[in-house]
Amino acid sequence: MFDPKTKVLVVDDMLTMRKIVTKILRELGFSEISEAVDGIDAWEKTKSGEFGLIISDWNMPNCTGLEFLKRVRADQRLSKTPFLLVTAEAEQSQVAEAIKSGVDQYVVKPFSKESLKAKLEAVYKKCSVRASA
Amino acid sequence: MAQKCYELEKKDGHVVLRFTGPLDYYSGKNFEEDLDGNSDYAHAHVIAYCEPVISFPQDWVRILLKWKGVIRPNGKHLVLTNVSSKLMENLKRLGLDKSFKIAKDVKEAVDELGLASKKSIDTEFINPFLEAALHVLQVQAKIEASAGQIYTKKSSEGFSGEISGVIDIVSDSFRGSVVISFPAETFLKILSRMIGGEFTQLDDSNIAGAGEVTNMIVGNAKVVLNQKGYNIKAAIPRVKRGRGAEVTPGSRVPVIVVPFTSQVGDFWIEIWLSSET
Repeated sequence: MFDPKTKVLVVDDMLTMRKIVTKILRELGFSEISEAVDGIDAWEKTKSGEFGLIISDWNMPNCTGLEFLKRVRADQRLSKTPFLLVTAEAEQSQVAEAIKSGVDQYVVKPFSKESLKAKLEAVYKKCSVRASA
Repeated sequence: MAQKCYELEKKDGHVVLRFTGPLDYYSGKNFEEDLDGNSDYAHAHVIAYCEPVISFPQDWVRILLKWKGVIRPNGKHLVLTNVSSKLMENLKRLGLDKSFKIAKDVKEAVDELGLASKKSIDTEFINPFLEAALHVLQVQAKIEASAGQIYTKKSSEGFSGEISGVIDIVSDSFRGSVVISFPAETFLKILSRMIGGEFTQLDDSNIAGAGEVTNMIVGNAKVVLNQKGYNIKAAIPRVKRGRGAEVTPGSRVPVIVVPFTSQVGDFWIEIWLSSET
């Protein structure tokens, strides 16, 4: 599982959802959590390279989570950053597009602490395999 | 005795004539007897599925043209579908390619004849919202709610609660809004359970939570409904404070209301449909 000292960026245009994700992350032991309000804000914050995990909403104005993911994956320095997408509606075509764009996992809203933890474990496992390859 | 090489199936507003093999003279005779013995066939569109057919024997041509002549005065059409290139060549050779309407497949024929059923607002439509609301509140706020008896109200009555999350939806057959409406006290208790802490007053930052709850409910319901063919598209949620509702301008149809009770109070899901579809 992720080291609780991992710096996490939570991206969502809805304050309530950022607070929900942050609350669950704190319950899971994470303490270094930053927030961004859309993909543009997130990209500016991500460029520093300090985040070891990104949890981003999908549907956001200005720059969607998918567009933000593509920017991260296209940047050589950031491309291996673990990335979890959050969505309220996982239709098959959307999921296929996210996987093609390099997402590590996605989670459908609403989600409990247990289901987010399971998704983070899956992200960690995938990224560990990727790092050792 | 000729082997039967067709099936006739009555559907809502049309008949499907499905050819199951090559056609011969005797099967045409049997078919003509079937037609003559059932007056229903004179009043329905006909969709003829032709995939196994490479040519129509002369007698079949006569019968199909006769059928077309019988249904035409009743405003009905005979459409050939799944026509192979070989069959098309033969139709052209006989000068019959313009005698029948031709569609790519049965679905295209159904669409062209205006037979595609419009999805209606019924329990099949409402239940996914109801189930999504119960699921979202249970998972995200650990609230056990239960739905009551569905009823309708006039749009002039406005929203049921003081805080409402509103999402506009459009589909092939209707448009309108889905609203989750809460009394202030209920909403604040739900919010406190969702994000921790204790909220006692409404303000601009915390009322946005109603939009997020609505977003989750509609998002979950939309996936279920689209699997059933509703083809729903949803807009970004917005929040309305107060009971004055201006969600669907021009709406004259009754608002469908699903009431819920829970340990933190009552709330409502409202389906506001526009009369203009």
